[in-house]
Amino acid sequence: MKHFLLTTILAGAVALPAYAADYSVMAPAAPGGGWDQTARSLQTVLQQEKISKKVQVINVPGAGGTIGIAQFASQQKGNPNALMVTGYVMVGAILTNKSPVTLKDVTPIARLTGEYEAIVVPASSDIKSVADLVAKLKANPGSVSWGGGSAGGTDHITAGLIAKTAGVDPTKVNYIAFSGGGEALAAILGGQVTAGISSYGEMESQVKAGTLRLIAVSSDKRIEGVDAPTLKESGLDVVIQNWRMVAAAPGITAEQKAAISADIEKLEKSKGWQETLKTKGWSDTYLSGPAFDEQLAKDIASTETILKDIGLVK
Amino acid sequence: MTTFDFLMQGLVSAAEPMNLFYALIGVTLGTMVGVLPGIGPATTVALLLPVTYQLDPTGSLIMFAGIYYGGMYGGSTTSILLNTPGESASIVTALEGNKMARKGRGGPALATAAIGSFVAGLIATLALAFIAPYIVKLALVFGPREYFALMVLAFVTVSSAFGNSSLRGLTSLFIGLALSLVGIDQLTGQNRLSFGVPDLLDGIEVTTMAVAMFAIGETLYIAAQGAQAPDRIEAVKGSVWMTAKDWSRSWKAWLRGTVIGFPIGAMPAGGAEIGTFLSYATEKKLTKHPEEFGDGAIEGVAGPEAANNASAAGTLVPLLTLGLPTSATAAIMLAGFQQYGLQPGPLLFATNPQLVWGLIASLLIANFMLLVLNLPLVGLWVKLLTIPKPWLYGGILMFATLGTIGANPSVFELGMLLVFGLLAYIMRVFDYPIAPVIVGLILGPLAEQQLRRALAISQGDVTVLVTSPIAAVLLLLAALALILPLILRARGQGNALSQLAASED
Amino acid sequence: MSGSGNKTSVTQRRPDWAALVIAAVLVAVAVVIFFDVSHLRGASGYSQVGPATIPDWIAACLVGLAVWTVFAGFRRDFPAREKQEIAPVAWVVAGLLSQMILIRIAGFSVATGCLFGLAAAGFGARRLWISIPVGIVISLAIWWLFSVVLQLSLPAGPLENLLEGLFQ
Repeated sequence: MKHFLLTTILAGAVALPAYAADYSVMAPAAPGGGWDQTARSLQTVLQQEKISKKVQVINVPGAGGTIGIAQFASQQKGNPNALMVTGYVMVGAILTNKSPVTLKDVTPIARLTGEYEAIVVPASSDIKSVADLVAKLKANPGSVSWGGGSAGGTDHITAGLIAKTAGVDPTKVNYIAFSGGGEALAAILGGQVTAGISSYGEMESQVKAGTLRLIAVSSDKRIEGVDAPTLKESGLDVVIQNWRMVAAAPGITAEQKAAISADIEKLEKSKGWQETLKTKGWSDTYLSGPAFDEQLAKDIASTETILKDIGLVK
Repeated sequence: MTTFDFLMQGLVSAAEPMNLFYALIGVTLGTMVGVLPGIGPATTVALLLPVTYQLDPTGSLIMFAGIYYGGMYGGSTTSILLNTPGESASIVTALEGNKMARKGRGGPALATAAIGSFVAGLIATLALAFIAPYIVKLALVFGPREYFALMVLAFVTVSSAFGNSSLRGLTSLFIGLALSLVGIDQLTGQNRLSFGVPDLLDGIEVTTMAVAMFAIGETLYIAAQGAQAPDRIEAVKGSVWMTAKDWSRSWKAWLRGTVIGFPIGAMPAGGAEIGTFLSYATEKKLTKHPEEFGDGAIEGVAGPEAANNASAAGTLVPLLTLGLPTSATAAIMLAGFQQYGLQPGPLLFATNPQLVWGLIASLLIANFMLLVLNLPLVGLWVKLLTIPKPWLYGGILMFATLGTIGANPSVFELGMLLVFGLLAYIMRVFDYPIAPVIVGLILGPLAEQQLRRALAISQGDVTVLVTSPIAAVLLLLAALALILPLILRARGQGNALSQLAASED
Repeated sequence: MSGSGNKTSVTQRRPDWAALVIAAVLVAVAVVIFFDVSHLRGASGYSQVGPATIPDWIAACLVGLAVWTVFAGFRRDFPAREKQEIAPVAWVVAGLLSQMILIRIAGFSVATGCLFGLAAAGFGARRLWISIPVGIVISLAIWWLFSVVLQLSLPAGPLENLLEGLFQ
């Protein structure tokens, strides 16, 4: 048996094409998480579509990705073969962890995917709409407990923005942080908290089954196939997207940046990538060039403001 | 009846020779990667998932089930033989298991772990198939206050099992609690005890700590014995297999471990370790051979191993019935399911029965394969211990650091291994027990977070902690567990108890 | 290692210095916790148990345990220690240190090979010119398995790059 296995592994190893390393993609997280999955999908598709001959994934977990970005910015300086996956969560983590290295210290290439937030209540709740929720919030902000992911993450920021836009003191938001999407969702389903905030994808099956009531989504326009108003329609001007992006090393030349951008654009247009998005349930929110730089700056600024308003960043 | 039909259908397709073969490969790969300390089942599944994509849906589902159970089981072999827990759920196994291995009883320890895992996996998988909808209702009733009460119960029972309120046991526990404070406070996002070091923001990894405390601390301790220590460990004394007495002492522990592990695994914030702690404490309370605990009691291996595997199946309850990924492993499995076109959620059993029952059948087959793979290897594994000491311990250190490097290749993490290894060495020299440090590190943050969540939801009303019936019952049990031994001691039976506590390593 | 046989010197009044050192360390840890979380007091939100409350409790308990330890030290309740040989421990620690230092510079295999060799030396196998190369070869094989089968890249150095170069 052992012998056989060894042969299988050897055969598999020899069968793998061996080329020079074209890209190394850093996932600033442990294997298995969202950034890691994005990095590994990039790896697969870049190789499959023959955009790059060999792609390697390196995991550097820790502190919301701030350990990874610090290492990336210092060790890969000027390396045109180094890429890093990151996302909106890191914007918050950089601020709350007071990371000395920020997204300004790397070269942003493009936004790849994104997910919108969903605001839900248990099916048995007497809250039927955003208006009901806001009324309750205004009456007694502490009585509305919000269940979501880690403190300072996208879910927390969304709760803070909703309160602020509705004219309620964001420091009064009774946000209950849970360790993961599953745990938060269990607390919402069990009626332990008043309302829940998480990415729509995580809630989808519960909403479809009718165990959770979806009262709003955080997108700019209504999401296709989702029967819920946006926060904007409900009178709260809040648009928030939990996006993931790819960045290159600092200190690369304009030509090198252009070459990487071209490769990523090729990736985004490829059939393989579109299929990956479908199987993973990610929506394509590709944005690159100056438009992306502008959006990124805007996101960073608004995040800093709201984190200060909530009281997480001083 | 249809339930049964679907299961049978799944079993028939899973039992085809080719599928059995896939199960065997999955179990082998899962075990091989799962044994690495620091690389737990979550990472194992994440890393090996792509291997399954090349097969047809049935085959890949079966291989996937094999990897999952293999990864869960993998940690126990190294716990027993090398005192190096592969993941946090097999830490408790090392306590008695390694003691057994050192006394030449590694064979029975490995066998009771393998058979216990099989029995627990079998019962728990069947429970998953037939009573999942009821279990999940119970799991959802658990909110922060109920979890807090559960943690209090775990603290009380477990800390009494690890030293019976002796000074050194409590000191170890509080060292663990102090270390558990390091990192970002989950509820407010504030830093505690990280001293501006970014690597400390995520806190101290339980597996890093377990590897340092057990494998490295013990290697240093044995090295310090120098030439006094025997040159080789006697690998086999008596039978390699379990004797009739081993069987009779194991089977009840397996069943109790299963009953404890399965529901705790099914709870969204339960976690496999807590089941193993509670099972160990239970076995220590109920055993007829209390003098052997801390010195290689077979029940202390059988119970926690069964609890560990039962909770692996338990994790699938909220995942399959509600689509809730309640652990890192489950979150990765969810990603895996999507690859097979399975959308876990409340409607899964209704909309996709074939795949669900296929998965459950695959789990049963994988569980069986695990036994087929591991039992014959027991004799071989035990021989590992006959390697001359320099190579054995050189290898253990290599292996212990490999897992850490694989999960997080950072110099800082290696530094933590060394520092905590030295701490464990010093603790051993002064006869402080090691396990409570890990217990404190795991249970401390859970208890604190649930307490604070409960109080935040109630806006500071303390009475909520006791007004839910479940929480009240759990706290009452905890109080009884705390008071009963005191009463017993007052009636003059305390001497025996404190003597037992003293024989703790 | 059995704790019950240590009542040899209850009558003796000289304290066990090790116990006093341990107590001092426990107090030091408590003080560090207490001061580190002091800036968090008051940031509790809706729960009166804030981020500083539990750390304060733990610090208080550590101080209590330290006092208990001092008493135990004076009553000489501490178990007798076995004789410890420092040289082998130093070898093993040197092995772990060498791995830490070398892993970024020389790659996984060389670093782990050194760990293997030096640790083996701590257990009596002092022929480093044999054990270190053996360790490096084993580690190289492991590195290769990891990067090829699991796509998990352990830190690479010159040796790993050479191995990869051979398969191009």
